[in-house]
This record gives sequence, C-alpha cells and structure tokens, in this order.
Amino acid sequence: MKFWQKIYLFSILVFVIIFNIASIMVIERSHNKMLRQAINTALSQNISIHSSVNAIVPILRIYDSIDYEQTVLTRIAHEFVDKNSDQGIYMDITDDSQRTVFNNADFPMPAARSELADLDEGSIHYILRDMDARTILFTTNITDINHKKYVFTYMKDVTAVYQDRLDQISFFAKVDLAACLLFMVIMFFVSRGLTRSIDRLNRTAKVIAQGNFSERVTLQSRDEIGILGSNFNEMAEVVEDKINELERNNEEKQRFINNFTHELKTPLTSIIGYANFLRTTKYNEELFVDGLNVIYSEAKRLESLSLKLMDLILLQKEQFQMELQHFGEIMAEIKPSLELMAKEKNVAIVLDCEQGELPLERDLIKVLMFNLVDNALKASAPAQTIAVHSYWRGGNYMVAVIDQGIGIGEADQDKIFEPFFMADKSRTRSSNGAGLGLAICQNVADIHGAVIRVNSVVRQGTTVEVVFAPSPAAESELHP
Amino acid sequence: MNKKILIVEDDIHISKIIKMNLNLMNYATTEVYDGLTAFEMLKREKFDLILLDVMIPHLDGFELMEKIKPYGIPVIFLTAKNSVYDKVNGLKLGADDYMVKPFEAIELLARVETVLRRYGHEDRVVEFQHIQVDLDKREVVIEGTPVELTPKEYDLLVVLLKNKNIALTREQFLDKVWGGDYYGETRTVDMHIKSLRKKLGLQEQIKTIYKIGYRLED
Repeated sequence: MKFWQKIYLFSILVFVIIFNIASIMVIERSHNKMLRQAINTALSQNISIHSSVNAIVPILRIYDSIDYEQTVLTRIAHEFVDKNSDQGIYMDITDDSQRTVFNNADFPMPAARSELADLDEGSIHYILRDMDARTILFTTNITDINHKKYVFTYMKDVTAVYQDRLDQISFFAKVDLAACLLFMVIMFFVSRGLTRSIDRLNRTAKVIAQGNFSERVTLQSRDEIGILGSNFNEMAEVVEDKINELERNNEEKQRFINNFTHELKTPLTSIIGYANFLRTTKYNEELFVDGLNVIYSEAKRLESLSLKLMDLILLQKEQFQMELQHFGEIMAEIKPSLELMAKEKNVAIVLDCEQGELPLERDLIKVLMFNLVDNALKASAPAQTIAVHSYWRGGNYMVAVIDQGIGIGEADQDKIFEPFFMADKSRTRSSNGAGLGLAICQNVADIHGAVIRVNSVVRQGTTVEVVFAPSPAAESELHP
Repeated sequence: MNKKILIVEDDIHISKIIKMNLNLMNYATTEVYDGLTAFEMLKREKFDLILLDVMIPHLDGFELMEKIKPYGIPVIFLTAKNSVYDKVNGLKLGADDYMVKPFEAIELLARVETVLRRYGHEDRVVEFQHIQVDLDKREVVIEGTPVELTPKEYDLLVVLLKNKNIALTREQFLDKVWGGDYYGETRTVDMHIKSLRKKLGLQEQIKTIYKIGYRLED
C-alpha cells in the first residue's frame, strides 16, 4: 500500500471512530438529561397531586363516606387532567380492593405492575413502559384515606423524548455521512499533497539511478522532506562531480593510450615495413641504404620514446628528496652536453646563470633543462641562437629558455603540456620527438612547486619560463 | 593500364614503404601527407583505390572519408588504433577494409587486390613474360599453348604472380595455397616450385632466397 493511502485510510478510520463515538455520547447524554427532566416533572406533578389530595384528607375524614371520597378524588383527578390535557398526562386511581376509581388512560393498564410491590406510604415509585408505539412513564404512590389505601398512578407520555433521540440520531447519520465525505475529499488532497514531495524525490532518485547524474529534485517546502530533498541534491552533486572527475581521468588516460599506441606503432610500421622489404626484395644499393637509415632513425625514435616514457612513469611514482643546491652548478654540469646538442643542429647556445640556492632534485632539474633546450632546438633553424637565463626577480628564481624558432600558434598554447601533443603537425619526424617533453617538464615543475609559463609568437620564437618560488625558510637562508 | 592508388599517410617513411611495395606489383602511386591535399588531389585526378591513414593533419581520415564518398572510390583505412569503435566507425563510413599498423606487405597487397577485385578493377588475365594466366578460366598459356598444371601448382603460380618481386617464406606459401589448417611439410612447397619451374620454364625467374623462401622476379 502506498504511503499516501496509508495516511488517508488511517486518518479516515480514526476520524470516523472518534466522530461517531463523540456524537453518540452527546446524543445519549442530552437524551438522558431530557428523560431525567421528564421524570422529575412527572414526580413533582405526582407530589403536587399527592399534596392536594392530602389537603382534602381531613375533610374526607369528617365525612368518612367511600362514595364521597371517590367523588372527591375523581374530581381532583379530572381537574388535574383537564389542566394538563394537552401534555399526554393520565391518571389512574385504584382503591385497596383493586377497583378503579378513576382512569383516563387511552390504553389498557398493564396487568402486572412491578412498581406496586413494596410500595409504602410516603414513597413514589416510577417505571418506564413501552405501550405499543409509545413510551409511558408510570409514577405511583399510595395515599391513606380513612384507613383505605388508594393507589395513585400518574402517567406521562414520554414518547417525544425518545422520538427526539431518534430524530437526533437520524440527523446525526446525515451529518456523519456528509462530514465523512467532506473529510475524505479533503484528506485525499492533503495526503497526496504531503506525499507529493516524496514521490518527486522518488522519481528523481530513479532518474539518477538510470545514469542521468545531472538530475536534481526541486522541493519548495522547508519541512523535513524539504531538508531531505536538499541533502539529496547535495549528495547527487557530489556523486556527479566524482563521476565527472572519473570520466575525465578515464578520457585522459584513454587519450594517453591512444596517443601512445600511435607513437609506438608509427615507427614500428616503418621498421617492420622496411626490414621486410629489404629482406624479401631484390637487392638495390640505394634502397638498401635508405631503408637501413629509416630503420635506424625510427628505432632511435622508439628508444627516445621509451626513455621519455620511463621518465614520465618515474615522475609519477617516486618520492623525491630535495636538497639546497645552486642552480648554476647544475647548469655548469650539463653545459657541455647542451652545447653538443646545439652544435649538432648548428645552433648557438648562450648560458647566463645568476647564483641561486634552491631546494632542488639534481637529476630532475637536468631532465627539465634537457627537455626545454631540446624543445628550443627542435623549433630553431640553423644559425639561430638559444639563450638560457636564470635570475632572481621579486623573491622568485626564474629560469628562462629563449629561442628564435618557429613559435607555437595561439590555439595550441594550452595543449602543449598534454602528453604526445606536437605543435609541428606535419610529423616529418626530422627531430625525433614524441611530444612528451613538456609533459615531463610540467611534472618536474610540479614536484618543485614551480610554474611553467610559455610566451610564444609564431615565427619569432618562444620563451619558456620556469618560476621557482622558494619557501620562506629557504629564502631567509639565502638572504639573511 | 596500371591501377592508380592514392596513399594518404602523414609519416613519410610509412608512406614510402607502402609506395615501394605497391610499385613492385606495378601499381601507380601518388603520395600525399595530409587530408586537405588529398581532397584537392581527388578533385583533379581519378584513382582506383585510396589508402587512408586515420590520424592525418588538417582533415582526419574519417572527415575525409565523408567528403570523398560521392566519388565512389574504394578506401582502405590504415590506423594505429586497434579499437573496435574505430573499426566500426571506419567501416560504417563506407570504408572497404581496415588495416591496423604495423602491417605486413603481403597482407597489404592481398587486401588491395581483394578490394580492387570487388570493384571489378582487377585484370582477369595476368601476363608474366611469356606466360599468360586467365584467372577466370584457371588456364595457363605459354605462347598460345595451354600448359597442364595441377590445382596446387596453379594456385602456387597465382600467389607468386600476385607477390611478384617479393620473397615469401615456405610457411606463407603453405598458408596461402594449402590453407591455414594444412600441416604439411615445407618440402611440399619445394616440390611444387620445382615442378612449376620445369613446366613453365621459370628456372631463372623463380629465385630461391637464402633463409627465406622463393621469389618470382621479372
């Protein structure tokens, strides 16, 4: 059963029970009160008859005649009955020999009258009797006149009181029906309204479960369900963010794998192709030399790719020990190698390093500088110059590698740190690149808490700056 | 007339090795290194087949594929990617075949031939010096005189002709002529080569290549 149906049924059940019990109690109480009133009236009437009879008793004693007694009693009864003729009042007077002295009842008197038992002078007994369709209240007392006991029965028709009760009940039944119907209608909307937010929450949860993680629930209410809704939204937000992040990571990895496969398979295709061509076709000296050259250079490319890749993997795994070192010393160490690299391409290289002691990882800095200079060399044409400057500026130690080469297009500048990205799309491979250099530099910079800035103009050259921001402690050692 | 094949491949070494292999089989080749040039080239010249790398600059292989569909030229995709998505995507776009790098020369030649045959571009009569082979009739004629060959000898001759100037190993011959599930000895190949040489007078042309196998040279 649904929650709103539970609320609905339960509240209706409770309402019907309580409403009916309360109403019946009210009806019964007012009925009892009215009945009690009728009885009291009847009793007081009885007493008043009794007292008027008592007032005559001394006179009757004087006469002491039965006939006279009975005439007087009949007259009193008549008078009384006439006075109250419209109120359904009846009198019955019998003497001690059970003879009726007076009776104006329009119904036969019941044969057995239990109220007469144990009846003595000075007390009044009363009883309610159903006579056919009517209810009659009998009040009885005994009056002693000249040693004869007369039984006075004063009767009152109280059917109206009972009729009243029936009327009230039937009226109540109508009200009950109307109230219940009204309540059911109102309660239907109320219970639906209360549970609508739950339904909405439920639907949203289902939509999210189907993989639509950007779905949110909109609840205006400020009650517990409203709070649940906003908590639910918060949860969905976190889940969505997490999933997006995972997807992004996954895409990045997929892109890396795709690029890596491409970079791996391209030289392999050449190597396998040429090797197979050379071994299966007729010897031709020119083709033979060409082919071997391709095999050699492509194999070298694979070698450099594998080395770069190992650098990259290493950078992501290891914990590095930083030591305070002079940047210039490291540069002096690798200067000969850099100059050799530049000489091969017939490019001049100028080094100008300011003294600076920084927390550095020696081998990583070498990798960083090799890669930056290598990139600059790839972009440069023969007879151009590459400058490597390092200097203090505003508390930061700056390392700049400046070339006069082909530059990087503006559209590519934000992609250059992506693994395997190469600005030179023609992929003529004259320069043995795999597009991993800057990705490695980025990692090295991250490890040192440094930032790499690239400033490039197409056909005018590129400046790559590495900004080292030494921690205050290290800085105070340098500038006491 | 020689079949013209357009090679769209950005890596010059791969492009050249493909060209060299195709030239061995007397296909005429044109090399271009990016998608846009390829598209321009297609507007100007007619080709029988395109070998198309997927990752090429300016206009990638899939985009180019869309553009060249109206020309109705068969296309074989070359790619480094081995993913099912790329394969399905390539074939859905209307490529006729799909080759994943690195590939073997004989595989490339076989696929080129298959696609050309499907498009009815293949010559049904192959000539080699004094020998004429009618591929439909499975008939070998030397200067007007039919030559009796066993079915395996005939198949072996066709494989040699289709890989002219390329040495194949005995295992490759076994695989192509006797089928992959034949576990015969490589000596079977030697026997058949011997009898082909004798029947067709190809002692000089079918060369034994040391440590590899045999090669038909013209």
